[in-house]
Amino acid sequence: MTADFVRLAASSDIAEGQSRGFDPRPARLDRSANNRSGGDSDVMFVVRHQGQLYGWLNSCPHIPGSPMAWRKDAYLNASGSHVCCHAHGALFEPDTGLCVQGPCQGGHLTAVPGLYEEAGEIRLRIRAAVAG
Amino acid sequence: MKIIGLDSLVFGVPDLEACRQYLRDYGLETVAEDDNSGCYEALDGTSVVLFRADNPSLPAAPTAGCMLRKTIFGVADTDTLSAIAEELGKDREVKVLDDGSIEALDDTGFMLGFQLTVRRPLDLAGEISNAPGAAVQRPINSLAVNNSKARIQPRTLSHIVYFVPDVAKAEAFYVERLGFRCTDRFIGVGPFLQPPGCLDHHTHFLIGAPAFMTGVEHFTFHFGGPTEVIQNGHNFIEKGYQAFWGPGRHVFGSNWFWYFNSPFACHVEMDADMDMFDLEWSAREAPISADASQAFLLGYRQRWFPGPGAPVNGDYEG
Repeated sequence: MTADFVRLAASSDIAEGQSRGFDPRPARLDRSANNRSGGDSDVMFVVRHQGQLYGWLNSCPHIPGSPMAWRKDAYLNASGSHVCCHAHGALFEPDTGLCVQGPCQGGHLTAVPGLYEEAGEIRLRIRAAVAG
Repeated sequence: MKIIGLDSLVFGVPDLEACRQYLRDYGLETVAEDDNSGCYEALDGTSVVLFRADNPSLPAAPTAGCMLRKTIFGVADTDTLSAIAEELGKDREVKVLDDGSIEALDDTGFMLGFQLTVRRPLDLAGEISNAPGAAVQRPINSLAVNNSKARIQPRTLSHIVYFVPDVAKAEAFYVERLGFRCTDRFIGVGPFLQPPGCLDHHTHFLIGAPAFMTGVEHFTFHFGGPTEVIQNGHNFIEKGYQAFWGPGRHVFGSNWFWYFNSPFACHVEMDADMDMFDLEWSAREAPISADASQAFLLGYRQRWFPGPGAPVNGDYEG
């Protein structure tokens, strides 16, 4: 039987105020996790804020599809208080995805559903068809 | 007015270490650094200057999200400095700083500086290609590709692109007060502007945007040619940096481009081989579109070769 989740990372891989990008498609996951190059844009990223994990699509609402980190896994502003799009410096609340400063202010990041932690792992629930 | 082009961009940044490393990896040379600032030069001495964002000596940014604090022009002579001071002094404060440079705000709220240019003359070959039917350009027995070169360095500060709330007003300031001229225009977006002592297609491009966006879209340095842009961009990505758009070749200006995200709240470009125009040139106008923006657009790939060990689908899918 195929698992209904993919393991993105160990829980300890993303500490408070940190972010990390992933390509959760099973065939790409190892490569996304191991490839530190920014050339392969992450599909999504995960941020830990006040203990909770939040998953967002790596797509700025200002220019949909445009990647947000300035280098691999760097999705936060300098202080770690906000998610930041490093195209034009737009700032987003890490828990709600609301843009509070920048070109898309008032807009929202797109949440990635199915993110959870279990057995010391950060996992993403997926449909069986995708997992297979 | 002999305004030659951009000499320096001054930023106030919240993450000084990240910005330092970014500029070094981009190819600029560190010429001064202390705990609170740094100066990073291209081959001709044009530069990006960094300070911590809370440095009280910095001019204010036009908006909270903009990290650019000052755009410094190089001019050819003291007569030009005097002429600029006299012209801008008609309706705004013009400060003379201790180093003899002057500074004043433009009509959008960007702080401008003007100084005798720091640019050192360069005596370097550009990218040289041979072609059937043309006289030999690159000498016999010389190599076009140098994979062992430790670092590719940008040659000179090229251009900056501002988001401005009132394009007509912003353009009028540069054209009527400083003698710039429009070389081409994207209708409904804004003009490419060339200063009076410069032949480059543009040192400025203005993009109309809501007032809260006032700031910088990107800045860039000229590299030695398309091979340097593509090779340096490829290396930049493999150091972990995130590409945004490119590599490709623009239509207006013909420059090769590759844009990257950055910790400067704007894109940073690598560019090469921009068209040069004199007064004989008549500005074009076009609606903006993908076709009008570039002749072609490519993308990063990992190095690969067709042979044993090659993934069945190349490196596009895992």
